[in-house]
Amino acid sequence: MNQEGTSQTAEPQSARPHGVSQWALAWRRLKKNKTAIAGLAIVGAFVVMAAFDRLVALYPPRCIVGLSPSCPSPDFVSNGPPTLTHPFGTNIDGYDVYSEIIYGTRAAFLIGLGATGLAILIAVIIGLAAGYFGGWMENLLMRVTEVFLVIPFFLLLLVFLQVALKFSQFSTGGIWIVVLVIGAFSWPGAARIIRGETLKVREFEFIAASRQIGASSWRILFRHLFPNVLHIVIVLLTLQIAASILTEAAVSFLGFGAPGSNTWGQQMYTSANFIADAWWATLFPALFVTVMVMGFNLLGNGLRDALDPRLRE
Amino acid sequence: MSFDQILSVSGLRTYFYTYAGVVKAVDGIGLQVNKGETVGLVGESGSGKTVTAQSIMRVVPTPGKTVEGEIEFQGKNLLKLTESEMQHIRGKEIAYIPQDPTTTLDPVYSVGDQLAEVIMRHQPVSKKYAITKAIELLRNVGIADPQVRISQYPHELSGGTKQRIAIARALSCEPSLILADEPTTALDVTIQAQILELLTALKDKFNLAMVLITHDMGIVADTCDRVTVLYAGQVCETGTAEQVFGNPKHPYTEALLSSVPNLALRKKHLSVIPGNVPNLIQPPSGCRFHPRCSYARKVCIDKDPELESMGDGRIVHCHRWKELDLKSAVAS
Amino acid sequence: MYLVPVFFGITLLVFTIERLAGDPVELYGALNPNITEQQRELLRKSLHLDQPIQVQYLSWLSDLLHLNLGSSFSGGSVATLIAQRIWATLELQLLGLTLSLIIAIPIGITSARKRYSALDVTITSTSLIGTSIPIFFLGVAAILIFGYHLHWFPSGGFQSTLPSQYPYGSLLLDQLWHLFLPATIYTFAILAPVVLLVRSSMLEVLRQDYILAAKASGLKDRTVIYKHGLRNALIPIVTYVGLYFGGLLAGAPVTETVFNWPGVGRMFVDYTTQLDFPVIQAIVVIITLMTLIANLITDVTYAYIDPRIRLE
Repeated sequence: MNQEGTSQTAEPQSARPHGVSQWALAWRRLKKNKTAIAGLAIVGAFVVMAAFDRLVALYPPRCIVGLSPSCPSPDFVSNGPPTLTHPFGTNIDGYDVYSEIIYGTRAAFLIGLGATGLAILIAVIIGLAAGYFGGWMENLLMRVTEVFLVIPFFLLLLVFLQVALKFSQFSTGGIWIVVLVIGAFSWPGAARIIRGETLKVREFEFIAASRQIGASSWRILFRHLFPNVLHIVIVLLTLQIAASILTEAAVSFLGFGAPGSNTWGQQMYTSANFIADAWWATLFPALFVTVMVMGFNLLGNGLRDALDPRLRE
Repeated sequence: MSFDQILSVSGLRTYFYTYAGVVKAVDGIGLQVNKGETVGLVGESGSGKTVTAQSIMRVVPTPGKTVEGEIEFQGKNLLKLTESEMQHIRGKEIAYIPQDPTTTLDPVYSVGDQLAEVIMRHQPVSKKYAITKAIELLRNVGIADPQVRISQYPHELSGGTKQRIAIARALSCEPSLILADEPTTALDVTIQAQILELLTALKDKFNLAMVLITHDMGIVADTCDRVTVLYAGQVCETGTAEQVFGNPKHPYTEALLSSVPNLALRKKHLSVIPGNVPNLIQPPSGCRFHPRCSYARKVCIDKDPELESMGDGRIVHCHRWKELDLKSAVAS
Repeated sequence: MYLVPVFFGITLLVFTIERLAGDPVELYGALNPNITEQQRELLRKSLHLDQPIQVQYLSWLSDLLHLNLGSSFSGGSVATLIAQRIWATLELQLLGLTLSLIIAIPIGITSARKRYSALDVTITSTSLIGTSIPIFFLGVAAILIFGYHLHWFPSGGFQSTLPSQYPYGSLLLDQLWHLFLPATIYTFAILAPVVLLVRSSMLEVLRQDYILAAKASGLKDRTVIYKHGLRNALIPIVTYVGLYFGGLLAGAPVTETVFNWPGVGRMFVDYTTQLDFPVIQAIVVIITLMTLIANLITDVTYAYIDPRIRLE
């Protein structure tokens, strides 16, 4: 025990990051995992779709085929089945379903990244604090976490959204409210996991840290603790993106989403009433939600396996 | 197979097919055990001791597989038996005492439950009888208040007690051969001696044959009739304890013996075998010990030696055994 | 036990979030402009909105403890409204969970025993993909195919509206006929994560020394896997299932909307759209309670399986 008190069990992620080598190792492990690569490919495809949406779509956005001058095709078809000109058919308003889906990709990313960013930010702060400070604070936070875990947040989410959206003046800004609310409700699960990791890391690092200049400010400690929980934060981030997109789709499907936001969930909602006659208008947006969520989930699971320092095969 | 021989292993090869490659954990091991004798199986970690025992019992975990060899036990080739037939041998004819007593008992069942289920598996008796027998077994292995212990759970007991229970479980159906895998390594030094004494006493009382796996030469010297030294999945030499300790014929044995700290010799430095345990996916060419052998010659790098018999049971696996005059560092 | 402070905390949290939204009557009134000022006054009185906020909370809490769930803003006792729907929800949720456990456990065990085999890889990949398939995709697709197009099953609802529509004239058969598709789809929808969990838990357990020791004692494979392996593997599974069930209950609104199933979830959607607060509150509390009970059952089961816990 002459240098740092290194643990004899799992190799501790050292307080002095080795730069490239850990991540390069993880990247190599990730590459071997076929489902993870599939996930990455799916996410990549969606990124391209979002970036180049005008190019990938067939018609301009909200183009009522046959009625507005910017639309090329002459006939207006409401709830038309898939044809060559409309590969996914048209919806009740006459919009081309395929194009609307493409335009919805950006909204999906907005929701995924926005809500997740907020949720993970809160989760990291609370998780680190709970794990690090211990004592009465840990107890209190543990009780609070238990309460949070039992409450059906999805239900409260619906209530909040209903109030927020029906009484706000925003028609297109509504999506930000959705982002905010989903983010604000999604942190408990991640916070609990981060707290758990902090507890483990605290065992390795605390000893070393306490040997540093006596009164080490807890900013230094966060600089030591945080990089060592980073691997789990990355995984949680990826999985939360999937969860946020899924939540928004569910919420919008039920009619609690932002009407002007044109997310896939919204598209499902507007077409849900006509499902018997025009199933394509509801099912294809649902399919895209599924695939995008799947992409992030597969990627997240792959990252978890690749980044876990203790997982050896 | 001679009259006295109870177990004869020859040419055993057990490989593990992992993502990283094929690990040749046991690559040509032979072992003979006679009735009533204790054979020590010695070697460092990774030498293939445990895998040998697992191969004999055919409980090698995936991704391991015994690819070649013959294991003759009481006239039967164990490798050719069906799984069902093998199940009647395990626990009943051949018993295994695992290394770590703290993890060898199922934490969710009581001691009595676990002993009784083995007894009932191999004998057509009632549960009541089995529990009574179990209590008696616990008494035989030196556990006080066995009626109390019988309904306790593993987490309530000490390591020493759990190892005694493991021994009791192994003996419960009166096997003829015991495979004891480092039975004392995981225990406190003070308990170690007790457990060894117990094992020897039971072995003598029931005239059992035992394969004692260990890395501790001291234990071998105390308890074993014959010894087989393993290195990197292969046999180095075999012989009686006196022969191997007093007159080693393999450089590895000599190195092992000289690395045992001995106050009487008053050496200035602890002698260490240079180098590292070899990679079993790509073992060294020729003789596996050659990178660490101070007597290695070119032939050792090129060719794998034969297992040569010196007569009366003595076997050596070295090109140069005839020429070398090896010293035993252990004062007998 | 510590359930009391937790329940207290939950009601407080729900109440706070709700009041943060604003004056409940105002909000309700905004969406239902046809109620008179007089009615609004009555509603205000019933919620004690003229009194300080602590009184409002405490009076609600005491109502709850007296099992008084209040009245809906649109009339009708909340308790009655919920009682009419709760069985449908419980039926679907419990059936789905039980069936998926029954199916997932053998599949997970098989996958673990035959690790690295083609079967295992198939099961694992399929399950990984399956965890991402939302109920509104699977459910909608299934209803479309089997309900609308093939007409094998009704496309929604709990039972037929007219007795003449009952198969063979039996009410029971009619209900089962309506239950079949939602229950089956729902079971499949929630199967995947449980399979993955059973598999990983089993893998962890099968690596253990006591499993090897059991096998080395000559015990039958079945004994080793099920008596020793599964019981130990169930420990983390049981813990997870409690939380999981809570999540399932929270998703009831979506599930019941997809299958047009007249349960408490669908009711929640309807009444939340109207911002009918007494109903909303009551449903949230009830579902939370059900989650708590599920957790309790989980804890008890856990103690039963694992003797190491019992002595605490």
